[in-house]
Amino acid sequence: MNRTDVSKGYSIPPTLISDRYLTWIMMGFLLAVLTFFLLFPVYQICRLSFIKEGMFTLKNYAASFTHPRIFRSLTNSLYVSLVTTVITTVLAFFFAYGLTRTTISGKGIFYTISTFPLIAPSIIQGLALILLFGRNGLVTRYLLQTDWNIYGATGIIAAECLYCFPNALFILYTTLSAVDTRLDEAAQSLGASALKTFYKVTLPPAKYGIASAAALTFNLTITDFGVPVVIGGNYSVLATEIYQQVIGMQRFDLGATISVILLIPSVGAFLLNYYLTKKSYALISGQARPFLQPSRPFKRWAFTLYCWIPSIFILIVFASVFLGSFVKTWPYDFSLTFRHFDFPSLGGSAPLWTKFWASVLKGEWQSIIAYKYAPIWNSLWVSIFVAIGGATLTLLAGYIVEKKKPKGEQILYTLGVLPAAIPGTVMGLGYILAFNKPYFLIYGTFWIIIINIIICNFTLGILSSIANLKQIDKSIEEAAVSLGANSITTFTRVVFPLTKTAFFSNMAFFFMRSMTTISAVIFLISAKVKLAAIEIIFLDIDGRTASANAMCTIIIVIVVGMLLVMRLITGKAGLKGMGTST
Amino acid sequence: MGRNLSLENLTKRFGTLTAVDHVNLEIEEGEFICFLGPSGCGKTTILRMITGFETVTEGNVIFDGKVINDLIPQKREFGIVFQSYALFPNMTVEENIAFGLKVRKMPKKAIAERVDQMLDLTGLRDWRHLYPPQLSGGQQQRVALVRALAPNPQVLLLDEPLSALDAKIRVRLRAEVKRLQQELKKTMIYVTHDQEEALSIADRVVVMEVGQFRQVGKPIDIYKCPASSFVADFVGTSNFFKGLQTVDRVRTEKWEFRVPKSTSLSKEEVFLAIRPEKIEVFKYGEPPSHLEPSNLIPGRIDVVTFLGAAVRLVVNMDGEEVISDVIEKEFEQRQLKQGGGVLLYFPPEAFIIYPSKESS
Repeated sequence: MNRTDVSKGYSIPPTLISDRYLTWIMMGFLLAVLTFFLLFPVYQICRLSFIKEGMFTLKNYAASFTHPRIFRSLTNSLYVSLVTTVITTVLAFFFAYGLTRTTISGKGIFYTISTFPLIAPSIIQGLALILLFGRNGLVTRYLLQTDWNIYGATGIIAAECLYCFPNALFILYTTLSAVDTRLDEAAQSLGASALKTFYKVTLPPAKYGIASAAALTFNLTITDFGVPVVIGGNYSVLATEIYQQVIGMQRFDLGATISVILLIPSVGAFLLNYYLTKKSYALISGQARPFLQPSRPFKRWAFTLYCWIPSIFILIVFASVFLGSFVKTWPYDFSLTFRHFDFPSLGGSAPLWTKFWASVLKGEWQSIIAYKYAPIWNSLWVSIFVAIGGATLTLLAGYIVEKKKPKGEQILYTLGVLPAAIPGTVMGLGYILAFNKPYFLIYGTFWIIIINIIICNFTLGILSSIANLKQIDKSIEEAAVSLGANSITTFTRVVFPLTKTAFFSNMAFFFMRSMTTISAVIFLISAKVKLAAIEIIFLDIDGRTASANAMCTIIIVIVVGMLLVMRLITGKAGLKGMGTST
Repeated sequence: MGRNLSLENLTKRFGTLTAVDHVNLEIEEGEFICFLGPSGCGKTTILRMITGFETVTEGNVIFDGKVINDLIPQKREFGIVFQSYALFPNMTVEENIAFGLKVRKMPKKAIAERVDQMLDLTGLRDWRHLYPPQLSGGQQQRVALVRALAPNPQVLLLDEPLSALDAKIRVRLRAEVKRLQQELKKTMIYVTHDQEEALSIADRVVVMEVGQFRQVGKPIDIYKCPASSFVADFVGTSNFFKGLQTVDRVRTEKWEFRVPKSTSLSKEEVFLAIRPEKIEVFKYGEPPSHLEPSNLIPGRIDVVTFLGAAVRLVVNMDGEEVISDVIEKEFEQRQLKQGGGVLLYFPPEAFIIYPSKESS
């Protein structure tokens, strides 16, 4: 064969920018974004809390710890978080045990139901408990006719348990399904009793997983804003106290100080979780093939019953909020109505949407669709941007950290996983302090909200991108390069197609978070810029509980609709394994 | 005029570890070179420096008279075949092969022609529309091979391409690679830790140890005249004896062998090496009389392993194990059997003598 017959005259086209510089430019960009939108706000909070009139001072801290209300918030926060952590971890552990170590039927149903809390704002738990056990609760007022109600610590703990359940469950499920069940069989064949096997063989390898689930639950509870704000009543916690001090009393300095105080347990729990997750994976990384021997009838029975308990609670939560948005006067008049979906005029408007519907519709429909539903349109619009932007940025960041490994990738990684450690309310306040200046043109627009949501949820995005990219053999990329492809071609033609599924599930995650998030963005909305999830809180505070339920229902419908679309696109459920590494 | 590839004092350090240590080699156009060595000896690092995936610490990679140390991998136009195949799982066989051509923006028609040509080269035509996971390991590696060849690279580099395959397919593909190389007259650099593979396939073999070249030569020379006791041990099988040499005798702890004459008169510590097939085995008590008596040593057969045409014996010689291969016919004729007493004959001219300073 003549060696000059091919590829002569078809040389590899030159790249605009050399590959090495491209990596540097991308990393520089990501580092700049994370520094500016993550570190800078946190720095502003610390500065405000420590510095008064140009001098370093601990006055704010002294004031906070001697301020009875703030100090009580701290003890309250620690109390509800600890109780929630214990209850949730225990509940989720045995649930996970039932799903992984017994041969009960209906595992798929249990698993699916347990993921429900992820598709709704955390506030839904509070709304449901109020519908059932509030001052006009179905159970308290209608069935038992008692004056007792669930507002306060009990309500917060109950709601947080439901909210944190799927997150703890994912970790424990992964842990327990990875531990080799043959060890259990070996122990039993050596004569150990079932109980002894559980304590000596099943539990020890799962210990890091259990501790990691506990740390995550603690972090989620102590940073949550939605639940305590609706069901807390007068029981204040740190996350709501920040909002109270800043928005209610204009005390930015105290808000910043409480934020720093809140950062300590939440960052601590985050670091603990991070460390334990690594340990846990090291312990279970073996090739354990789970093979289950059929459980004895009593065990099967007991676990089936047990698994139904949290599942039924979760179903009741969703059913009551759903029902609560359609009945006339809960719990007295159960006739159906769409009245609550006609939200009170919130004075909102949305770009494009309002203009379009105002020109198409007339009269009552015009006011409902064009103006009253504007926050929903805003949320949808913001969520689409967050989904695309978040999934893209985290994939790029993951790609640089995992595949390109330039100098300093550790810094990018650390900044990338840090956001989960920082409570939403703290980030929200930080954004006000950092960007509420006339020269930051994005402040007060949708763009700051979009950026904020992407940054707040960066952790899970980057971790799942890295996990996915790890599965792509290094030599596949080298093969593309050796065949003449430049960085961009390699990425678009080879790497991206292989991470497509992960990319779409990241998009689903960002979309979901954006539709349901409350804590950070509540500081960033304005009279003109409104979001659906935040409206739930305002409707609830206005006493329009039924409309709050209706708004919640609409958000759930949108999220479920999006998940179905994603499922059609990728052929896979978008939720599996999503909460594992928050 | 040949476009030669040469390595000049090529060195790679990872921190304090020197993975490749000042190696020199001239590879001619159309030559089939094999780097052979135990894992961790630096052979893959050399390959990666040639491809440009690893930076050069010191020295030069020179191609066609130009130093290419800092040339990006894309511009080197060297094809690579990976141990893990590294086929793009999202593309069909055809699309995989066409990838390098599309990147070069060749016209569609030319691409189609070239892809057909490549498919025919390895008989992959029927699988063109399949995706890599639908193929067997051997088929995948064939695709990887022609994918690398499709853009007509200047040099083809193969990094342990067959070690993930099972023994039979490995031997078959090995022959196929050799055939392709002879047909296309392409410079190929092949990395392996399998000495049989290296000896059977290459024009020249480079034996490596701890980042250095121990011997460079034709397969037959490497086997027959290993340059060091390491090479004698790593390539093929050798029996070693340690002893002191005086003129034509080597005194070991237990025996005294006659060996080829040494020029040195003083006593020297040496290693004696001898290949298993060079040792003659007789049933105890009946050796031919003309043999050098000091090189005849009694022993007992501990293990018998049939290798097909030959039989491998592990013989216990006063506590020391010696490996000896005899052809199957002799094994029968001489009535050898496990546990039986034997006399081993070590022909003096079959010994290779290495100075003992250099240990293996």
